[in-house]
Amino acid sequence: MGRSKVDLAIFVGKRVVWFVPVLFGLITITFFAGHASVRNPCAVWVGPHASPDTVRNCIEYFGVNRPVWDQYTGYLSNLFQGNWGKDPQGGQPVLPIILTLFPATIELLLAALFLMVVLGIPLGVIAANAGGRWPDHLVRLFYLGGWATPAYLGAVVLAIGIGPVLGLPNSGDFSSTPDPGWQLTHMSILDSILRLDTGALVDAIAHLILPAASLALLNLGIATRMTRSSMLEVLPLDYVKTARMKGLSDFWVLYKHALRNSLISTVTVLGTTAGSLLSWIVVVEEIFLWPGIGKYAFDSILSYNFAGTLGVVVFFAIVVVVANLVSDVLYGVLDPRVEWR
Amino acid sequence: MAPGRVVGIVGETGSGKSTLGQSIPRLLPEPPARIRQGRIVFQGSDLLSIPKWKMPIVRGTSIGMIFQEPINSLNPAFRVSDQLIEAVRIRKLRESGEAELFRPTEGFDYSKDRPVDPKEAIGRTFLPSAPEGRRPRAGRTSEELRKDALEYLRLVRINDPETILDLYPHELSGGMRQRIMIAMALSEKPTLLIADEPTSALDITIQAQVLTLMKELMDEVNTSILFISHDLGVIAEMADDVGVMYAGGIVEFGPVAEVFERPAHPYTKGLLESVPNRYKADGPLPSLPGSVPNLARLPSGCPFHPRCVFARPPCEPDPGPALEPVKGAPAGSNRRAACYYSEEVVRLK
Repeated sequence: MGRSKVDLAIFVGKRVVWFVPVLFGLITITFFAGHASVRNPCAVWVGPHASPDTVRNCIEYFGVNRPVWDQYTGYLSNLFQGNWGKDPQGGQPVLPIILTLFPATIELLLAALFLMVVLGIPLGVIAANAGGRWPDHLVRLFYLGGWATPAYLGAVVLAIGIGPVLGLPNSGDFSSTPDPGWQLTHMSILDSILRLDTGALVDAIAHLILPAASLALLNLGIATRMTRSSMLEVLPLDYVKTARMKGLSDFWVLYKHALRNSLISTVTVLGTTAGSLLSWIVVVEEIFLWPGIGKYAFDSILSYNFAGTLGVVVFFAIVVVVANLVSDVLYGVLDPRVEWR
Repeated sequence: MAPGRVVGIVGETGSGKSTLGQSIPRLLPEPPARIRQGRIVFQGSDLLSIPKWKMPIVRGTSIGMIFQEPINSLNPAFRVSDQLIEAVRIRKLRESGEAELFRPTEGFDYSKDRPVDPKEAIGRTFLPSAPEGRRPRAGRTSEELRKDALEYLRLVRINDPETILDLYPHELSGGMRQRIMIAMALSEKPTLLIADEPTSALDITIQAQVLTLMKELMDEVNTSILFISHDLGVIAEMADDVGVMYAGGIVEFGPVAEVFERPAHPYTKGLLESVPNRYKADGPLPSLPGSVPNLARLPSGCPFHPRCVFARPPCEPDPGPALEPVKGAPAGSNRRAACYYSEEVVRLK
């Protein structure tokens, strides 16, 4: 146990191996929950006006009358062969759809996390430094307001109230559709940078601001509150006084010496928040018509697209695991006393 | 405090020693702390009239500090090199004129109490731009800063400073950390060094080593030191003058040998009598009756009168006795005590 690169690799490797049983359990629970709650999905898949023959054909074709256990083992064996199933209505394979939509969600998630870090953490520092005076109360009002606002309300207010005032587009439909041949990453910002297309970059950022801001503003409270409370713990410590006594200005004392130690707890919280942001992302993508996996999850659930829902669950699980892994690694980077084990 | 002299501050826990030390560079958080009256005259300027955000100019290069707990006084997240070089860089920036430096008021006469507007003292040091012909970043490349840092580690007698420099504080012992704290404070060449119980948290052998080191360094660097301790023996060893604190105030001040030989305040006398003496192993250890009063509810008059064996009716009403020259002390010895009967006390054997 130590802090060498080998120790870190072993640590990450162990976590990745542990992910396999977690994923297996997750797929099992989602599969049975989905199939137990819907008796005959074919009634939805073929539509209300279909003839009984069509329904019978659908049942026959998808095998939904087979025992659930058979369907489950069939799904798993397909999954191991790289076949994630098909959308029963459109007939397209699920995996390619998710692979094109997932980067857009990651882009939105990273943008929201970025805003939470660059706005939330300094606000926490300002609040802690003010320690009970008016800036502290103002910051608290701001983040508690966001924290108490449900996403469907906050996002709608931003979309129809603030967006038009600032001249920002309030939907994810891009005005200048990128050249499909150049969609390397399916992240609009990254693609436009790779294409060296400034017009598309500006457009992509403009489209990203409102959905990212609605995720960030409603959730940055957790970063602010965590930063504020750990800063309040750190500020009276002797090493902060040592930093002051060197003659460092308040800025360096706060943002270098105190914040570096406060960030340890903030990073841990942000890691778990990244996972819980995914549930908000479903709502926000639906409101802003963001072409991501969250909107796809919403549509899949409504249309009993089991393969699609399970695919989304797997990808969400990957995000949660990776986010926690990144926060654990950052924890060790920030605190030199941590050993990888 | 005269330049180059070591002034000891001694007193019981809770008597306000650390508060005194930290209030000089205005390190106490305001609020809740508040300096209600008086002045903090440093090199001819009243530090209280400097806006708080400008205080960093005074800290480091003018007033340095060593704290009590070496475990907490180094930042756990940064290597020794980062923390030490930071201090070295601040001094270099200030010496080269790239950052503001606090300068003493010119021709300040320490014998007279004549505070000067600090705006004058700080404003005068605003160098308009880099002096002509000076290379930018002269002496501040990372190798040069590292070399400087190594020099200060050697100054505090650290073996193998190259290795130590790249370690984190948690990889070092308490004594080693305190040496690094001392190196850090000295690397800024402060005019005044406040040592707030620098050895109290160390075990006894390390304590002796650090004290010996500090004593040696006192001869090498020309710095005035305010040495705060609850240990009378350490004060006797280290200090030239001593101030004895009781309930938030200095009750006696004077050259350490004279004060400890013939105390002029009953509290000092009681404190000295309660030091365990291995040559007198008979009978119980003498101690002061009663305990330190709650600072929020001080007794009227002399704060020591409820515990004092010399107390008489005049000691009770407000205001209590002020710190005044002791009558009957040897001429020119600059002894002061806050007691109406100091003349009587000092004559006792």
